[in-house]
Amino acid sequence: MTNESSGPDKGMFDAAVFANKHIKGKFYRLGLEFYGDGAAAFAKARPGQFAELDLAGIPLPPTDAIAEDLRDASERKILLRRPFSFCDVSSRKDKIRVEILYCALGPATLRMTSLSPGKSVSVIGPLGNGFQSPADKKTALLVSGGMGAGPLIHLAKTLAADYPKMGIIAFAGAKSKTELPFERPTDEISQQLGFALHEFARVGVESQLATDDGSAGYEGFVTDCFTKWLGRSSLAVKDTIIYSCGPEVMLARMAKIAEDKKIDCQISMERMMACGFGLCQSCAVKCKVNGSSETIYKLCCKDGPVFDSREVAFEL
Amino acid sequence: MTETIDISVEFGKLKLANPVFTASGTCGYADELADFTNINLLGGFITKSITAKPRQGNVPPRVAETDSGMLNAIGLANIGLDAFIQEKLPLIAKLTVPVFVNVAGETIDEYVAVVQRLAAEQAIAGFELNISCPNVAKGGLSFGTDPALVAEITSAAKKAAGDKVLMVKLSPCVTDISVIARAAVEAGADALSLINTFTAMVIDIETRKPVLANKTGGISGPVIKPIAVYLVNKVYNEVAKERGIPILGLGGIRTASDAVEFIIAGASAVAVGTANFVEPNCTVKIIDGIKKYCAGHNITNIKDLTGSLGREIINPPSPPLPAQPSPPPSDSTPSTGSTGTP
Repeated sequence: MTNESSGPDKGMFDAAVFANKHIKGKFYRLGLEFYGDGAAAFAKARPGQFAELDLAGIPLPPTDAIAEDLRDASERKILLRRPFSFCDVSSRKDKIRVEILYCALGPATLRMTSLSPGKSVSVIGPLGNGFQSPADKKTALLVSGGMGAGPLIHLAKTLAADYPKMGIIAFAGAKSKTELPFERPTDEISQQLGFALHEFARVGVESQLATDDGSAGYEGFVTDCFTKWLGRSSLAVKDTIIYSCGPEVMLARMAKIAEDKKIDCQISMERMMACGFGLCQSCAVKCKVNGSSETIYKLCCKDGPVFDSREVAFEL
Repeated sequence: MTETIDISVEFGKLKLANPVFTASGTCGYADELADFTNINLLGGFITKSITAKPRQGNVPPRVAETDSGMLNAIGLANIGLDAFIQEKLPLIAKLTVPVFVNVAGETIDEYVAVVQRLAAEQAIAGFELNISCPNVAKGGLSFGTDPALVAEITSAAKKAAGDKVLMVKLSPCVTDISVIARAAVEAGADALSLINTFTAMVIDIETRKPVLANKTGGISGPVIKPIAVYLVNKVYNEVAKERGIPILGLGGIRTASDAVEFIIAGASAVAVGTANFVEPNCTVKIIDGIKKYCAGHNITNIKDLTGSLGREIINPPSPPLPAQPSPPPSDSTPSTGSTGTP
């Protein structure tokens, strides 16, 4: 996961939109292309890092294209940038392509849907620390909830390329089938072979699906699906690492599972951010000091968004 | 053309290359912003608040966005004086721009202790007393609303500051800001900065609870700019002008025209805050824009602009270039490619 290219590690760049694909419902996948210094910086982007997009000047989609439940939000103006992690980073000649999985939920992401190929958007990044290398582990287990799938798709691709002998299995959950941020499940035969999701299958990574209502895959929380799978497996915990991204309640559960099983676990946290690079101090995450009861606040944008699960003091 | 424009300003005993600062609390300790802009191009840099002991800050959520502003209740989170000296001061010492340390505390003694300890540091040009933070239970705004306390804390800090410039940051959350400004100046403040944020609230209508864990926060950004311009003009006319006290104007500045408004209102310099979060290089663009404004309005020295509200324009703006068709280039009509449209 290293890159020797020169140029800045991060900065503020204009990116060209090359795609903005509607996946289904409120889910989209935005493709951005970087050149020059921007390409040099984003060539070094690691899974779990993120970028801040300035969407304030992006026009809204036509009123009749705005879902009824977003009409009120569409009336709101925005001031601050919005943080997004990457679901893919790839190189194409002298350009770097970065893809972002997003959900149109409010005034900023609604504007994002109207970005079309050829348009330009201001991007600050890549920011944050990203997932750490699995080093000498033999198995990586990737567990996501909802939109948390984005950075884990990127991680799956990177791990598969950098550690070809590593066993990688992804678990993805959502409330229901319609709230899964994926294009479609794979065919029946692929599913029986353990490749439930195209996004992971295309990089050779097995995946399992869970929905709270049972409308697709395992019926129940992805954490329960994962726990049952783990109970049936014979993995050596010292050779295994968990990577997780999703709602905080899910991450707290993953941290507990990892603690109980004594498996190393890295989790990607989310916080409201004003800047994304340590100026505003808004994105505080309460962390334990050396495993003691003492806590300190760390910044999600600079110290995170990825933390060792043993470090975070969840308050749920 | 802009090379001949003098936008250097005298600020207390300091001579600044230009009138643009970063505002405290929005630019970290300098190292964070240095990835995105050349800090040495600024007129001045103001660190985030430093307290005697480290402060964890408030429980999150700490920020909320409004239509044209940002609410924050960070709670003066900072690494504390000792860590600031050990970890940040060596980096700050490498800067060539004048650096002000914003100082906060829960007691007057705490303010004085921080100022006294840093007064000997060559890397620091001055102090900004934060007596206007609305987001802490002790200190902050409770000092800044009482003229007697303002005088007391300013006087004590002035003695501790030695030969450094002492600036006092004022809150708009008072009945008459000029009363507070006068108290600070008469107690020895070399400069005033205004305004800090307004106390405000955002409510989540689903939970019917405040969005911020602190319930209230300070609102900043474009929404407060017209009020800040008014208050700068008021303090300039009622307190600062006759005493020759420079004002650092701030509140919602994100463009050169915003900055020029504050200067016309009476500010000798301006500070950019919330806009740094969105465009961390905006201060440098604002400096360039101020030069262009001066060039376009025949102002060769920016001092002529400070406090010029209502003053007769002796040197009218350069006439706009005619619209289409463009005149052919000649010795007397430089070809800029401009259509003359603002």
